[in-house]
Order: sequence, then C-alpha cells, then structure tokens
Amino acid sequence: MESFVIPPQAEAWHQEPQPLRYLFPCLAPSSDLFCSCSLCHRYHGEGYQEGYVEGSCLGMTEGRQYGVSHGAKIGSEVGCYQGFAFTWKCLLAQCPTEKDSKKRKMLDSFLGMVQKFPYADPTCAQLHEDLDRIRGKFKQVCSLLSIQPNFKVNSGGSALSF
Amino acid sequence: MKDSLILLARVPAHPDSRCWFLAWNPTGTLLASCGGDRSIRIWGKEGDGWVCKSVLAEGHQRTVRKVAWSPCGNYLASASFDATTCIWKKNQDDFECVTTLEGHENEVKSVAWAPSGSLLATCSRDKSVWVWEVDEEDEYECVSVLNSHTQDVKHVIWHPSQELLASASYDDTVKLYREEEDDWVCYATLEGHESTVWSLSFDPSGQRLASCSDDRTVRIWRQYLPGNEQGVVCNGSDPTWKCICTLSGFHSRTVYDVSWCHLTGALATACGDDAIRVFEEDPSSDPQQPSFSLTAHLPQAHSQDVNCVAWNPKEPGLLASCSDDGEMAFWKYQRPEGL
Repeated sequence: MESFVIPPQAEAWHQEPQPLRYLFPCLAPSSDLFCSCSLCHRYHGEGYQEGYVEGSCLGMTEGRQYGVSHGAKIGSEVGCYQGFAFTWKCLLAQCPTEKDSKKRKMLDSFLGMVQKFPYADPTCAQLHEDLDRIRGKFKQVCSLLSIQPNFKVNSGGSALSF
Repeated sequence: MKDSLILLARVPAHPDSRCWFLAWNPTGTLLASCGGDRSIRIWGKEGDGWVCKSVLAEGHQRTVRKVAWSPCGNYLASASFDATTCIWKKNQDDFECVTTLEGHENEVKSVAWAPSGSLLATCSRDKSVWVWEVDEEDEYECVSVLNSHTQDVKHVIWHPSQELLASASYDDTVKLYREEEDDWVCYATLEGHESTVWSLSFDPSGQRLASCSDDRTVRIWRQYLPGNEQGVVCNGSDPTWKCICTLSGFHSRTVYDVSWCHLTGALATACGDDAIRVFEEDPSSDPQQPSFSLTAHLPQAHSQDVNCVAWNPKEPGLLASCSDDGEMAFWKYQRPEGL
C-alpha cells in the first residue's frame, strides 16, 4: 500500500492543514463557497482517477495470475490425457489383436476430443462442457483398458489428481 | 382408509442394520433385499411366510445400497458404497458373483438394467452416471460416462420399453439420457424440486415419470413429443418433459421412494415420517392436469424411516417395504370402494 501524499495545491490553499479539510475541502472555513466546492470536485475527481488506475492495475495482475494458474492446471490435465492416450496407442500398436482394435478406436476418439479442445480461447463457452466430456471419456477409456486410475489426492499428489 | 393397507408379514431382513432397498424378480416369486450389513438376501414365499433362500454375504466391503434383477431374472446387480457393482448369476437357488464392475471413484448409489437386458446403468456420489454394455460372454464394457449432474447422483432407472435412462440427484434435478451416434447424451433436465430428488418411477406406459424429493413432494412429469396437440414446445426431435402434477401437503418428511404399480396404476411412497402412502389418479381428471387422491395412509408402517416401497410385478396390490429399523414388511393394498 502506498502512503497517502498530500497534493501540493492543498498546501497552498490553507496555511494550517487539517486532515479532514483535505479530504472534504467543502468543510474549510472559506468565504468563497464556489471556490471550495470546485476544489472539492477537483480532488474527488483526481482521487477517483488515481484509485481507479491503481485498482485496475492490481486487478489485472491478480486476474492474470489467476488465469495463468487455472489455465496451467487445465493444460496440465488435458496434456496428461493426451500423453496417456499416445502412450497406450503405441503400446497397443505392438500387439494388434482383434480385441485391441476397439481399444485403439476408443483412444483415437479420445485423442480427437483432446485435440478439438479450445486451448486458445479461454472465453469459449463450450470449454467447461468439453472438459467434462473429456474427463468422462478418460474414465471410460480407463475402464476399457482395465486401469484403475488413482484419483485420491495424497500429500505427494498423484499424477492423475486434478 | 386405514384398512386399505393390510399387513401380511413382517420380517427382520437385516437385523441390527438398515434395510436399504428391495427388488422383485420379473416373475414376482423372489424378492432381493440389501442393507447396511453388506449382505444381499433373497426371499421366497413358503406357505404364508417369507423365508430367506440365500444370503449373498461375500462380494461387498461396505453397505449394499441397491439391487436390481436383469429382465431375464437370471442375474442380480448390486450397487455398494465400496465403489463397486457386483453381477450375480443365479444357479437354481445359489448365486455366484461373476463380475465386479469398477470405475466409480466412490459410493455407487444405484444400478438398473435396461429392458433389453444388454445395458446396465450405475450412478455414484462421484456425480457421474455410467452406462455399461453386456455381450454374449457376460463381459461388461463401459460405453459412456455422463457427467451432467453437479452433485451426488441418487438413483437411475430405465424407461419400461425404450432405451431411455433417467437419473435423480442431490442437485435437485432429474436428467434424461438417450444414445446418440456412439455416445450417450443428456437431452432433458427436469427442474422443479426444491431439494434432493431421491427416487424415480415410470408409469406402465413410460409416458409419465414420478419423482420424489427431500422437499416432501412427489412430482408427476409427462412426455410431450414434437408436434404434440397441446402445443408444448420441443427442442428439435427430442421430447419435452413437463411437470403436470405436484403432490404436496401429504408428506411431513423426506419422500425416499416412489413406486408406480404397472398392474393397477397405484402410486406408493416411502417416507422419512415412517409412513407408507398410496395415491390413485382420479379417473375423471384431465390427463394433461391429472389430480391424485390419497387412498391409503399407514402412519407407523415401520418404527423408523421407510426407505423403499416395491409393488410385486405379477400380483396386483402386493406391496413390499423396508426401513432403517432393518425390517421389511409385506402389505395387501385394497382400492377403497367408490373409486
């Protein structure tokens, strides 16, 4: 937090500055009512502008940080699915039996969903719906591959906890 | 009105535990019960009494929440809080666990077979609904994981004749699903209940669906197909489901279960106020806005919450119920004269 700086104009306006009068120049014992009111407007306006600029700046930083961390989480989750699917496709390619063809087909459709995911557009209305569908498909793929993904969140953090 | 439900038998089905759910086999000769004691019991009628034919104790590590018979009557599926669903095969009087379905992250709350017997649905506290396909070799394969609900999914049921699935949730909604290309999709969300929806039951035709809730009401929903005479707007080729009746003011606690008799059309409810109630549609009421009358009310049907009511599929008026007190009871329902 920056300290409050008394504007230099205020110094000139009154010899014995009192805090309340800086904030509310209308309260100053002045014979010129018009003058004090215009100052009031001026300071109020300036203060508002300064605060607004500073607030916007802080908000942007905070929002950016939140977006970066949240986006990174989603990216890491979807990326993990993609790596998982690629790995299994390679593993299944080595033993192409009849039964595995269904699994490969499922992995292809899963990869298709991952590739269509709107990474580049965080404002995309479909994004969360797509993510839910990908998560559902991942569970289905795991079930088909007879893998029990570890969803439990432990202190170390499992690779499949999001 | 009190005489319209007559107690036939009371059985300590799961002593010192809760009895959660009952399911009649398709021929109505066997009743499966499940409970907090991790076991499933199969009951058959001998003389005037009900005797335990088998106990399926091995299979689950935690509470067995629901059981469902396959349409052929040769298989029983059980949903458990241990996150698994077991498929039991019937060999005369014995049952053998042939498959354990894994995949849900935590408590499986309900299980249901499609009318064809080739599809099975499960739902869980993990907010998902899974659809499984069964092949000729009794192998189960997950065909879809549906993440449409935002909370715990309490119940799943299939439409009596079509491959349409309905689910009820802690998110206060009912969702309906159908197959689209290679996947399953949610095509309708039924909003109206003000709290958890606990159970669902289709009417004999499958055109109407009853839902019961923690908000102490039962709602009746009706299906409107595209181009319906009533002018109910449909989205594309999907039917719209509209609430046409709300039964409120009858139940003083949560309504845990609802069962629509496919033989008589009577609607029974299981309530947290220990009572069993039966409603019947007024024959003269408008089918688009039907009214239902309370035709039976048994205040202390059980000594604790009634968890389930189940009409026998072959014997009209035979109702089974079970409770947190571990007991199950058999009732004879007689329609009051003048209806």
